[in-house]
Amino acid sequence: MKVNIKSWTAVAAWRWDMPEDDVCGICRSPYDSTCSKCKYPGDECPLLWGECNHCFHAHCIFVWIRAETSHGRCPMCRQEWKIVAKVSQD
Amino acid sequence: MLATRRLQKELQKMHAQLAPGLTLVKAEDLTEWVLDMRVLDDNPLYTGKTFRLKFMFSQKYPIEPPEVIFVQDAEHTIPMHPHIYSNGIICLNILDKEAWSPAQNVESVCISLQSMLTGNDKNERPPGDEEFVRGNTRRPRDINFYFHDNAV
Repeated sequence: MKVNIKSWTAVAAWRWDMPEDDVCGICRSPYDSTCSKCKYPGDECPLLWGECNHCFHAHCIFVWIRAETSHGRCPMCRQEWKIVAKVSQD
Repeated sequence: MLATRRLQKELQKMHAQLAPGLTLVKAEDLTEWVLDMRVLDDNPLYTGKTFRLKFMFSQKYPIEPPEVIFVQDAEHTIPMHPHIYSNGIICLNILDKEAWSPAQNVESVCISLQSMLTGNDKNERPPGDEEFVRGNTRRPRDINFYFHDNAV
């Protein structure tokens, strides 16, 4: 038997390579969702890991670090905030 | 925007579950909330009493701390504590810009205040309470507290 495919519809899902129900400590939205300013999750609203092993939406941690009172420290552990990596997609 | 969405999240979570001794009294908008707090142990200074807290949020919450005060009315008094002025203003470092972290939230602040009362055995007001309360015209945000006493 020979089948001719005339059309198909592909569906894909993605998520960040992160524990599933965890939330960003700044905006309290899930990592898989966006920061409070963005509309669409994904590359445009990435996650950042700090050297201290804490992770936030990039936009959230930037707002905090820009605030003078943050003294450049991680909101969770108060160690100096240094980016080690962007989170990759699963 | 950050404040709105973050407060909505907190409210959702608080409606579902709230730490023991805490009750949400009023949260009609996202600028001012009222919560009642009881101390859970049997500290004789506070047993059987319910204290009322008012939280005020700026547009910059949670980058900036909320302003938090104890409220006095017909049913509620201001708890006696060497870091709580008789007008309800609270001297607690995590409520100050310099020590605040956006990882804190309304519930965690309430729990800190609960433990601040639990650990206290001094039936007194801060030094200079009378002058401060008489002369103060500033809101909590604009007061620079000097945190010197880590013992209480």
